[in-house]
Amino acid sequence: MKKRVLLAVIAVVTAASFSIAGFQNSSAADLTPEQESRIQSNCTSIKGSLNQLHASDALLRVNRGQIYESLGTKLMSSFNSRLSNNSLDNKGLVAVTNSYQTALATFRNDYQSYEQQLSAAIRIDCTKNASGFRDALESARTKRATVRADIVRLNQYIDDYRSAVNDFMLNFERVTGKNS
Amino acid sequence: MDEKPTTPTTDEQLSFWDEHRFMVLIIGTLIISVVMVSISIFVYKVSGTAQLDLSRPGLTSVSDKVDRTSTVTDYSAFGPVNKQTVGEFTAIYEKQANRAKAVDAFNGDPLNPEVLEFGDPTTLTD
Repeated sequence: MKKRVLLAVIAVVTAASFSIAGFQNSSAADLTPEQESRIQSNCTSIKGSLNQLHASDALLRVNRGQIYESLGTKLMSSFNSRLSNNSLDNKGLVAVTNSYQTALATFRNDYQSYEQQLSAAIRIDCTKNASGFRDALESARTKRATVRADIVRLNQYIDDYRSAVNDFMLNFERVTGKNS
Repeated sequence: MDEKPTTPTTDEQLSFWDEHRFMVLIIGTLIISVVMVSISIFVYKVSGTAQLDLSRPGLTSVSDKVDRTSTVTDYSAFGPVNKQTVGEFTAIYEKQANRAKAVDAFNGDPLNPEVLEFGDPTTLTD
């Protein structure tokens, strides 16, 4: 019985070590010798492009971020409060605002993750570690696409809130029209 | 009546803490400073503040391009709700929404290996 358990453990450990080695090899194997030499020879210009992207994305994060933040806090929340203070139904608007705030928090986290990954890629010496550099860039690329998706989602919520305000206004006019 | 005031003599034995209390104060201050600075740096990095700090090396070139002029008008949470006030809100909201969407942020694929000119030429598409 003990022998069987021991054999099973050995089999699992062997399989795991092979799969890890395979994963590492596949990561390195994806990079052709041509690509590797291209990375090494263009290392300086690639780093220059990445530094420019890093700076322009940081500026974009600050400028876009403050507009998105103030839209949520200074407009959406304030308008919801005004409706609430007047004892009007604002459930639809609050739901959209909550989704917007959640999407904004996701954007903040995703951008942070992307920026850290891009900085990590920039720190790698691509003349010595082309494969690691490429992997880090690929990860940063995926994370940037996620940030882009967050922006699209935020823009969608901005439109949704506008529609919710229009719906509220239609309802409000109908109700006050009936009452008067 | 004959008691004389006791004065410390040079032969008096001082305890370890009495002898080194100034050094302990200096070292303690330094340790507290290092701990506080470490916590500050940790919070700076974890909270996402670092990503908004354009005074970091490499980002100073864009720090003067931060939009400081356009401020969002605060909409008061108090006041009546009628066609006019909702109309005022809609106008402010529309303006800010257009500003938010004016720039197609984070679009494109600048980290694509082909864009960075190290991609595999065999995978290039027309």
